[in-house]
Amino acid sequence: MFDFCLHVLTLACLYGLMALALNLQAGYAGLLNFGHIAFVGVGAYAVGIGRLAGWPLPLSMLAGVACAMLLGVAVARLGRNLASDYWGIATLAVAEIVRIVVLNQSGMAGGAQGISALPGPLDALPETAQPLAFAVLGLFAVALAAWLSARLAASRFGRALRLLREQPALASCLGYDLGRLKRSATLASAAVAALAGSLLAGYTHFVSPDYLLAAQTFLVWSMLMIGGAGRVAGVLLGTVLVQGVYSFVPLARDLLGLGSETVGALRLGLIGAILLLCLLWRSAGLLPERLRTLP
Amino acid sequence: MSTLLTVTGVTKAFAGNAVLQGVDFAIGPGEIVGVIGPNGSGKSTLLNAISGFTPVDAGRIELGGAPLQRLAPHRIHGLGLARTFQLPAMPEKMTVFEVLLAADNRRHGFWASLCGGAEQRAQEAASRALATQWLGELLLTGVRDTPAAALSGGQKKLLSVGCALMGNPRLLMLDEPTAGVHPNLRRDMVAMLQGLAARGIALLIVEHDMHFIGELCQRCIVLDRGRVVAQCTPAQLSQHPQVLQAYLGSEHPVVLEAAV
Repeated sequence: MFDFCLHVLTLACLYGLMALALNLQAGYAGLLNFGHIAFVGVGAYAVGIGRLAGWPLPLSMLAGVACAMLLGVAVARLGRNLASDYWGIATLAVAEIVRIVVLNQSGMAGGAQGISALPGPLDALPETAQPLAFAVLGLFAVALAAWLSARLAASRFGRALRLLREQPALASCLGYDLGRLKRSATLASAAVAALAGSLLAGYTHFVSPDYLLAAQTFLVWSMLMIGGAGRVAGVLLGTVLVQGVYSFVPLARDLLGLGSETVGALRLGLIGAILLLCLLWRSAGLLPERLRTLP
Repeated sequence: MSTLLTVTGVTKAFAGNAVLQGVDFAIGPGEIVGVIGPNGSGKSTLLNAISGFTPVDAGRIELGGAPLQRLAPHRIHGLGLARTFQLPAMPEKMTVFEVLLAADNRRHGFWASLCGGAEQRAQEAASRALATQWLGELLLTGVRDTPAAALSGGQKKLLSVGCALMGNPRLLMLDEPTAGVHPNLRRDMVAMLQGLAARGIALLIVEHDMHFIGELCQRCIVLDRGRVVAQCTPAQLSQHPQVLQAYLGSEHPVVLEAAV
């Protein structure tokens, strides 16, 4: 049971990283990125392709971050002339293109089978110590990302992003280059998401096209919407809640004697119900973004 | 007199409908110029054209000798031009003070913001001092920590003027600054705007309130159907036959006599 809890904690930390990354775009800058999982997938696949090419893990992870940032530039550039909702649809399409490409690349990316036996960042440790060590690593990464996110939100850049999100025309006539602001937010988000993807691949020692399903993006979005987009504490709370439901509902199978299919449906249904309740009663999330009163 | 803004032959049509038809005028530093004209005469389009929100079809716009007509709004702002909107929309999740701080765009880069440091702290302190000063001058100190979207229409107008001034502009363009502003406050605004002009900031003001124009402006540009039909002092407006016909109507304009 302890190992299971560690497993849930580690996954929650990795999804927390993805959610904080999405928060940089969607929460702070108001960019509706529905293809966020593409950045995660690029990070994860970099570890897989790096193993096939015989690269050391740190190099693969760096390459993953770099590729995700390149994809970020492309996605931000794609959206220059699109209204925000149309841009959201375009990002969804980009993520699907990335998924379909790796699905059909059996030579380089393992095709539908994915790539297994991936190296993890903590392989040097004894196997019994690895779950705990990975949980600690995850906690450290998510704490660092949370601290940097909060710092960024309070900074002059964060303020510019809020103005971009709330009143783009005003921001533009006050001298902000909106394209550049969007690009910066997307780049930072892509880097963090790719790192989360690399860690996820290293933790599960596996990567497959299923890591890139659009449902994954919406899982991360539901974390933001339930917890509270734009506020670090809200995003983390949303991650814990959604990840908790996702991981602990299967335990009900043993307790209540339910079938696997029922559990899968119950899991999605519960998250849907929580999301719906939040949208109805707490539309800004359980911990909504606060006004910043400054001295 | 030296010129700050020069507009030459500016033409703009929306779907074949000519809105600006060869507009020419110039403004010097510290000059206060009013733009008047009936609804649909092209006043707001003129402001949008100068500030880069509406690309012009033909003509030249220069600020201090630099051509503006192909630049994006943020680049034009960088050359020293600030503007307000007719219906100022303000952020919901930012306080009045935070909006003023955001209006100062110096040192807002990603790395400078993330890393901080002495220069960043000094910039932030300077912005806060400037924002506090404008809060006081615009009588907004009482709503400093209120969400900007919750302000009244008149207060939003004042806040948008404050935002425009946070960037230390050379030319400030105001689109109907007094609409929805209390008459007492209007008098304070006249004094405040004259103070800005005395510091060398040129003002281009689109306005319907002829009292305000008469008290404040040294010169008026009268637009009608996209053309400049008159350029004169506010006092001379009532003697201008084209102006009377185009804008003021046949009834005798009492307000203008009061302004003379």
